[in-house]
Amino acid sequence: MTNTRSAWIVYLLLSGLTLFTWGVARAGYSGLGVTLLVLGVALLKGQMIGDWFMSLRGLRGFWRWVIVLWLLLVGGLITAAFMIATGG
Amino acid sequence: MDMHIKTTEQPTRPAQRRYPPGDLALWIFILAELSVFAVFFSAYAFTRAQHVELFSTYQATLDCNSALANTLVLITASFFVVRAVAAIQRDRSAETVRWLWLAVLMAGLFLLIKGHEYAHHLAAGVTLSTNTFYMFYLSLTFFHFMHVILGMLVLLVLAVRTRRGHYSAAEHTDIESGASYWHMVDLVWIVLFPLVYVMR
Amino acid sequence: MQYQSQRVAKPYFIAAIGLFVGQILFGLVMGLQYVMGDFLFPAIPFNVARMVHTNLLIVWLLFGFMGAAYYLVPEEAERELVSPKLALAMFWIFLVAGALTILGYLFVPYSSLADMTGNSILPTMGREFLEQPTITKLGIVVVALAFLFNIGATILSGRKTAVSLVLLIGLAGLAVMFLFSFYNPDNLVKDKFYWWWVVHLWVEGVWELILGSILAFVLIKTTGVDREVIEKWLYVIIAMTLITGIIGTGHHYYWIGTPAYWKWWGSIFSAMEPIPFFMMTVFAFNMVNRRRRNHPNKAAVLWALGTGVMAFLGAGVWGFLHTLAPVNYYTHGTQITAAHGHMAFYGAYVMIVLTMISYAMPMLRGREAANSNRSQVVEMWGFWLMTVSIVFITLFLTAAGILQVYLQRMSENPLPFMVVQDKLALFYWLREITGVVFLIGLVVYIASFFVGSREPEASVSPAPAEAGA
Ligand code: HEM
Ligand code: HEM
Ligand SMILES: [Fe+2]
Repeated sequence: MTNTRSAWIVYLLLSGLTLFTWGVARAGYSGLGVTLLVLGVALLKGQMIGDWFMSLRGLRGFWRWVIVLWLLLVGGLITAAFMIATGG
Repeated sequence: MDMHIKTTEQPTRPAQRRYPPGDLALWIFILAELSVFAVFFSAYAFTRAQHVELFSTYQATLDCNSALANTLVLITASFFVVRAVAAIQRDRSAETVRWLWLAVLMAGLFLLIKGHEYAHHLAAGVTLSTNTFYMFYLSLTFFHFMHVILGMLVLLVLAVRTRRGHYSAAEHTDIESGASYWHMVDLVWIVLFPLVYVMR
Repeated sequence: MQYQSQRVAKPYFIAAIGLFVGQILFGLVMGLQYVMGDFLFPAIPFNVARMVHTNLLIVWLLFGFMGAAYYLVPEEAERELVSPKLALAMFWIFLVAGALTILGYLFVPYSSLADMTGNSILPTMGREFLEQPTITKLGIVVVALAFLFNIGATILSGRKTAVSLVLLIGLAGLAVMFLFSFYNPDNLVKDKFYWWWVVHLWVEGVWELILGSILAFVLIKTTGVDREVIEKWLYVIIAMTLITGIIGTGHHYYWIGTPAYWKWWGSIFSAMEPIPFFMMTVFAFNMVNRRRRNHPNKAAVLWALGTGVMAFLGAGVWGFLHTLAPVNYYTHGTQITAAHGHMAFYGAYVMIVLTMISYAMPMLRGREAANSNRSQVVEMWGFWLMTVSIVFITLFLTAAGILQVYLQRMSENPLPFMVVQDKLALFYWLREITGVVFLIGLVVYIASFFVGSREPEASVSPAPAEAGA
């Protein structure tokens, strides 16, 4: 059964992390380190959505990890692309 | 692959469940949708790698505040959807209807804000052919925009059907499916927002 | 067979198979002309043979779809067809119009045919696959409307199932997209742009709905798996088809003068088009593995599984091969395209029509559920001969295509088109020989309708579930 208290906590965390990302953008930071940090925050948020909102947390087997895998795939590809961009 | 489409009859003790909430067929659809977005995101990132200057220049023209508002709106909608599911699990369908309508409202708000951004670009003469950045920005966000519309319609139908008494604590697979779909729409935006607006 | 009016499917199926033979014969003629340029000169020029080959293909597939619909819809709607008479009348109109058109192609120079049929009033002729005289096109629209009315009214006044509704949407879409064949702008870019709305949105859009629903129907009937499960698969498949296939049209907009963003849109969305085809394969095998009973018509199950595999190979794999813009830049309009066209059309649409014929024909001819064992064995020989031939035709054309791309477009000293064609003769010969095997397979397939018809029906062995329990 969905727990409304943890939903509240996740909701507030997601909002807080969103504000953080926005703050980085407003401050005009750039560079690989900051960029990857922002990406990492997004992946963390995505993982929270998968675990708590989509309720994958309590499962076992493939479906437990499906969102995590997607995030790692997308995150990995984006990271690679950004590293190529700064490297070359 | 072993396909039990109906997943409601599985044991309720969390540690034993194998399938996500909602209809498994819908989850396969979600997977397919996520792979389209994954390809789109990587195409963006790798193309950017060849035009870093161009991308940063035009990323700077985007309205970060609208994007912030929209991210918060989507997260809030997702939260409402979670509450709707929680309510129907407790057999409180009137409450479920209220949460669903609130989520629909949020989805509508997203469309309004995004529409406003589009109107701004349009007025500035920006089109898909303006440059590669705008091509990606407009395509990606618009593809997502269409998903918000679809998700909103799904939530709307669920609200109406819940109101008519279609769902209960015992049977609410559709609500769980619709909720999962909506969270997917949210999830995609959670990656899209930093990628397109913030990461330079 | 539960409803009398299902019988109207039979002439449609017979005509389909008849025209199929014609299609293959003209394919063989062309195949020979590829290596012996003056074969049948001047009686049947290559361009005429090509037109006949492709138009016969489309027309017999349409016959097949209509027959399938007439067989499937009463059973799904649980009522007789609204008007079996209308269905029969349309059969004859379509057959005569089709035959006259083909004869026109063969015996009248194309430009005279255009004059004779008043093409100048509403010019629509002269474009690949849409070569039919305008009046034939109008005839097709009339037949399609009468057909849609007939099955639409039957479905809407009877039991509505996912299978029949998806079929109806697919068939209505088929008719609607065909209307773009009447739009023939002077601007060549626009012309090509909308031409693909017929060709691409047919085979990678609405026809896929037809394919999905027929496959679902046959699987429900032969495996006994819950309709609910099968219908969910069907929904997921068609949703994915439409999401990827509609914008996927862009893979034809790379080099025709459309804006550059199509390179991205076309590449990304069409790269996802194999997903629904893959789902169909998994779907077919999954349902057969979970079957509740063994159906005596083993040939029909084989065709259904074959459709899943070959559609994925032909459309999914061979489509993906050349769908990304940077690849298509080199392969556009080469033998790679022809290779893909053959395996995709055969694997998806030829095979689904033959699946339905295989399932329905025994009942239409008075059997309880299936043909005799002997007839089925012969039919399965036909299946393997034709399927293996098309695989080899595809492989030979792919080899020819790779060589062509290299010699003509990639090497240091690119060679002219015709010089390259000469160098590919070996592959063209192999294609022609394989084509003959295909024809033999087709003959064997047709023979299966005539052997073992006096022998008793094939019987059922116990289902794995029962046997295991
Ligand atoms: C059953 C489904 C399909 C059929 C029957 C089919 C058939 C065909 C045919 C006949 C052509 C040649 C058209 C012409 O230029 O005259 C063609 C072209 C093409 N098809 Fe398909 N196709 C199918 C599915 C797909 C899929 C799923 C993909 C991509 C994944 C694909 C990718 C392409 C591409 C890229 C071309 C253009 C080739 C070129 O540039 O010359 N097709 N298809
Ligand atoms: C069921 C079987 C067959 C199907 C579905 C089929 C389908 C098609 C299609 C869709 C095209 C147009 C291709 C394109 O535009 O790229 C075509 C062209 C052609 N087909 Fe077939 N065909 C079949 C069997 C054969 C056979 C057995 C042969 C001969 C051995 C053959 C020889 C040809 C030739 C030579 C062309 C012309 C290609 C060109 O324009 O260069 N076909 N066929
Ligand atoms: Fe296409």
